[in-house]
Parts: sequence; structure tokens; C-alpha cells
Amino acid sequence: MNAPRTDWNTAADEDFRQELRAFLAAEYPDELRFLPRRLRWAECREWYLKLSRVGWIAPAWPVEHGGMGLSPAKQIIMLEEQERAGIGRMPDQGLTQVGPTILKFGSVEQQQQYLPPILAGEHIWCQGYSEPNSGSDLASLRTTAVLDGDDYVINGSKIWTSMAMDATHMYILVRTDVHAARAQTGISFMLLDMQSPGITVRPIRNIAGHEEFAQVFFDDVRTPTTALVGELNKGWTIAKGLLGFERLGIGSPRRPQYALTRLEKVARSRGLFDDAAFTDRYTQLRLDLADLGSLYGQYVDQVRRGEELGPDVSILKIWAMELNQRLAELLLEAADENAVLAGDVDFDGELIDVLSPFYSSRPGTIYGGSNEIQRNIVAKRVLLLPQD
Amino acid sequence: MSADLPSGQPTDVQRMLADSVASFIGRDSDMTRVRSWRGRAPGFDRAVWADMAALGLTGLLVPEQAGGSGLELADMAVVAEQLGAALSPEPLIPCAVLAVRTLAGCDDAEQGGVLLAQIASGETLASVAFQECAGDLQGQGKTTVDMHGQSASPELISLNGEKQFVMGAAGADGFVVSASASEASAADQVLAWVPADTPGVSLTPQVMADGRLTGTLRLDAVRIPASNIIARGNHATSILNRALDEATVMVCAEMLGLMGAALHMTLEYLRTRNQFGRAIGSFQSLQHRSVDLFIQQKLSRASLADALSALARAPQDAATVAAVSRAKARCNDAAALITRQAIQMHGAIGYTEDSDVGLFAKRALTLSAWLGNSAFHRRRFLQMSAASDN
Repeated sequence: MNAPRTDWNTAADEDFRQELRAFLAAEYPDELRFLPRRLRWAECREWYLKLSRVGWIAPAWPVEHGGMGLSPAKQIIMLEEQERAGIGRMPDQGLTQVGPTILKFGSVEQQQQYLPPILAGEHIWCQGYSEPNSGSDLASLRTTAVLDGDDYVINGSKIWTSMAMDATHMYILVRTDVHAARAQTGISFMLLDMQSPGITVRPIRNIAGHEEFAQVFFDDVRTPTTALVGELNKGWTIAKGLLGFERLGIGSPRRPQYALTRLEKVARSRGLFDDAAFTDRYTQLRLDLADLGSLYGQYVDQVRRGEELGPDVSILKIWAMELNQRLAELLLEAADENAVLAGDVDFDGELIDVLSPFYSSRPGTIYGGSNEIQRNIVAKRVLLLPQD
Repeated sequence: MSADLPSGQPTDVQRMLADSVASFIGRDSDMTRVRSWRGRAPGFDRAVWADMAALGLTGLLVPEQAGGSGLELADMAVVAEQLGAALSPEPLIPCAVLAVRTLAGCDDAEQGGVLLAQIASGETLASVAFQECAGDLQGQGKTTVDMHGQSASPELISLNGEKQFVMGAAGADGFVVSASASEASAADQVLAWVPADTPGVSLTPQVMADGRLTGTLRLDAVRIPASNIIARGNHATSILNRALDEATVMVCAEMLGLMGAALHMTLEYLRTRNQFGRAIGSFQSLQHRSVDLFIQQKLSRASLADALSALARAPQDAATVAAVSRAKARCNDAAALITRQAIQMHGAIGYTEDSDVGLFAKRALTLSAWLGNSAFHRRRFLQMSAASDN
């Protein structure tokens, strides 16, 4: 294995890129490249540990906490090279969500206790936010945590928890003050061991037939008071602060580009580029994708210059995810009757699962704050339109 | 090279330009002047044109040795965006971009230099007469040049034909005319300077939806000195095509300004107009629609930035032409959507002559039709993308 250097930030950008590119080409398993889905822990564990061993697992974390301490410009290079090499998304909540939160809001003890196991791949984190009756209206959440001695006792349920089956830990929003004047002010941010007694994980099969998320039930589950991050009842602020650099990822042109490539293969195989009506619709979507690339590039430049991303970055998510759906839908149409065949279909020798981009495009406009919620946010915080 | 900077980072020159154009535009507190020139020849104010020249705007892209500022397209984009927001009817892009960029590439630097200096000073207002029918920007074939002239005066050449959709024609002092020595051959293409007062030149002005004037230029046995030929053959075709692409991107910048102003005006209306006891901007359906308009504006800006940097980097590449078409297709559609939704969200008042909303919607119409509508540019994008993939 070629061992990357450790003085990443002093390396020239292009050297860094080449070194990274060579590393990803040589070391990443080919069978996990360009997958249309997230990776399960069992299949990417080796890769995670390999990154951990060479010190490349946490690009954004500070060096003193075991990260790479990469400048924004080099983080962007890392993102670009990962996309180029088709690196799949691992269960990365510990690296991208919990770690940065504990670094920002956690105590020294919490940093010592929780950060090293994330780097070592010993703790896999999942997010406990949504509840059966609190989706878009997250602040109405009703899972409670009540102080009892040195523990908080948690009761309630979380749902749509991605990769809960693989996770060893959960970061959770719980109601700690049921009498707070505003719903947002009675919420706290806590950490939880998924092995704790009283936790039941019930996987939920999604529309594509895969078990990628779950409902999690809490029946008198105890977590120590030392697992409270930040101040009691200030969890809402912490949860909102999590959004940042990672919001770029969801608006990347990568996913729709993947759908476009499939659309082109199917259309060529079926002779659709001789059809002017199809060609015009295809071109429109191609332009939509190219312009997404331009817009994405502008936000990337912003990060590269070291500027904070504002709430307007939500428009990337809206456009990318809706475009992804339009592409997947045109793919279905292009395939005609073949579109309804489950599994791979042979198009001129190329096996393409036409339904897979369709299924995987649907939740993109729902998760991470539905596109309706994103539009609410942009309308109020960017366009300064009045509250209801 | 300002165009090489990351998008969204204006240079000092661009900041200064933006400030001086802003104060220039600020002389008009409302659209009274814009309204007053609608349908009235030449469709804009020559005195304002002279002020723009004095401010350096007509000579912005003119090389320094010809008396201009020698600035970049990215700098002109800043000017075009602001003038677009103010709905300036002056033909800055037809003259100070399209004509200037054509003349700057001409074979005879001395002759081009004289005209360029006159454009920079405001003395001469030039337009380019290239188009011969709707939907076709090449316009080869029908306008012919007889290079042999008359036996009595061999130094003269003769032009015959008709050019359509000549922007700014009503106020132009002269035209760069494209013509062919024989039918439909790029190798025989010439570009020639034709003063407007040459015998045989006649202009039929046509009023456009926004009140500006375009025109059809007839050339009947127009005799001009052979020295008025500014470029020949493939070189003539190539400098014209490049200037057309550059002008197209500047129209995108103008539309970006226009859509920004229209969106700003609409959002302000949504914040202040009350119905059902509350500001209508508090209604979610209008909020979400506003966000969709905002997304189109942001996509337009990003697309334009990419086209600008492509032009600065590799003007001749097929991929650059594709980027130009992509920007025009996006800006056309975005400007149309934003201005038409501006009418809708203003309600009945937006449908009145008194409201400025209509001025924006009509300017969006005329700018999107000029230099290729969206269907034209989608087709060209696909052709050029295929060419750049091969």
C-alpha cells in the first residue's frame, strides 16, 4: 500500500490531488465504485479502517484530534477525487455530524471519550431526529428524557433512522422541558449507546425493497448525564449548527450525472435520438445538469475561499434532487415496457436496472429537510418574505 | 485577467465600473425616460449615448491603442447587467460589443482602429447587419458583393441584398455588413463597412414589443471603396461568429440584470401588498414560487459565469460555443419565467400599462428572441457538445 504523506496542507494542491488520486485508484475496492446506493458497514468496513490507518479518515477534523486539518480548498479536492473515483458513501454520521458537534459543543471529557472510537471505526453513529409524528415539524418531537440520579431516562420512538441496524451509537434530540414556551427551547442533544437495555430496532423496508432505515423504540433507556452535549434545552441550536460544509454534498451533480449516463445508454440502444421530441427533452435535462454543475462550482468556490455557506445553499439540494427525479422519470419513459422489469435489463449488451434510479431518486426530495421545508427556509431567510 | 478569477469575486475594476454605472443609472429615478423613447425613432437617446461614451462604456472593449480601455468581457458583463436592470434602451451590445469585437478582429488594423476610436468617443454608432432570415444567425448567400466593381472605378465594390433584425439600426451611423462573393461559401465571405448615408442604403425600421427599434436594411447596388472591406474569407466568418458568441453572452448579462430587478420588484410587492389581513408574501404558494424564480436567477448567473470563463480560456472551442448556448438558453427561459410570474404575482396591476412589470416582461421577450431563442440554443448546445466530445 502506498502510504500518503502527513503534511497535507503544505503540499501543493496538484501534488495532493495526484497523490490522492493514485491512492484511491490503487486501494479502493473496484466492486464498490459508482454504486447507486449507500454502503453498508459490512462491505465498507475494510476501506474505513484502511483510511483510518493512514490518517485520511477525517479530512475536516483538526490535526490534534486525529483529523487531517485540511483547508477548505483541499477538502474540495478530496470531494472531487472521491466523486471521480466513484467512492461510495459509508456510514459517516460519526465523521461528518457527531464528531464536528462534539468538537464544537462537547466537553473535553466527551471529546476524549467519543472521538477516538469514531476514527478507529469502533463506533458507528446514526441520527435520532424524526419521529412518527414529527417529520417536517421536527421541533414538535415528543421523545422525552427525564433526569434520574446520574442518568437521563429516555422514552419514545425515532423513525426513518438510516443505517440504525449498523449503528453502535445514536445522537438524539429529546424533549427535556415539556413546559417550554417555544417547542424549540425544550430540546436537548444527547449521545446514546445502542446496546443500552430498552432499545428495539425495527427495520423498515423501503419502496425499493431494501432495509436502509428503521424505527427505533426507547423503553426506559438510560444514558448518563455525561452524554448530554452542550447545555440542557439548547439542543435545537446545536442541531441547526450541524448544517454546513456537508450540505454541499447533497447538491453535487454526481447523482443526476449517474442517472443521465444511464438515460443516454438506454436512449441510444432504443434509437431515441432520432426522435426530435425526445431529443429536446433530453437536451433540456442535460442543460439543467450542466447548469447545476456551474452553480455547484460557485458554492465550491465559496467554500474554497473560506467563506461560510449561507441558507441559500438549500437551492442546490432543491435543484439537484428534483432534476434527479426528472432524469429518472425520462429514463423510465425511454425504456418503455422494459421499464417495468424488475432487476437488470439488457440494452445492447449493457445491463441496466432502470427502476433503481427511479426508486433512489424519490427520497432525495424528502430527507435532509424536505424540498418544501427548504423552500420555506429560502423564502424566509434569503428572500426575506414575511412569516405566516 | 478578470475572467479567470473565481466567480462571484469582482475585481477592483469591476467594483469601480459597477459604482460608476450605478450612479449613471441613478440619474433616472423611474422609468419615465425608458417609456418616453418607446416606438420613437431611434428608440433611444443619442445624448445619453454620448454620456455613456464619455463614461467610457462604448470604448470599454476597444483596445487601448485605438483609444479604448481594452477591458475584458467579464468587465462589460458588469455594465450590461446594470443597464439591463435599468432597462436602458441604448444599443450598447449591438455597437460596443458586437460591432467592436468584429472590428477589433479585422484584417486591416489601421482602418478598424479609426472606426473603433470613433465608437469609443461616441462619434460613430455602429451596428452589425448579419442576419438574413429568422432563426438563422449565419445569413450566408443572399447578400452579395461584386468585388470587380465598375470598369470606370475599379476601386469600388458593389453590395446587393437585404439584412433583417439589425439592432440599433435606426440610430446607427454605419453598418458592418456580411456578404458573399458567391452563394453560400464561407471562403467567399466578406465583412464590409457601409456608412448609413451611402446611396442605395435604405432602412425600414420596425418597432419591437418593448418599444425599441430594429430594422431591415436594404442594399441596392451600394458602391463603397474596396478598402471598406474589413475582413475576408474564413477569417471574416470566424471573427463574426466569435463576436456573435461574445454579444450573446453579454445579452445574457443584460437579462440577468433584468431578471434580478424584476424579481426584486416582485418580492418587494409580496412583502407589502396585504390581502386577507396579511402580506401576500406570507402565503406559502407564493413563497415557494418565489424560491423557484430565485433558483432560476442563480442558475443563470452560474451558467453565465461559466460561459464567460470559457470564452476567456478557449474562444474557438466547440465546448465554449456549447457553454454560450447553454447560458443563453438558461437566461432566456429564466427571464421569461421571472417576468411572467412578476405579472401574475402583481395581479391585475401587473397587467397595466402604468406598471413597470410589463416593461420588464417585454424587454425579456425581445432580448430572448435576439441572437437565438431557447430552442435554437438547445439545438446548438447539443450539436456543439457532440462536436466537443469527438
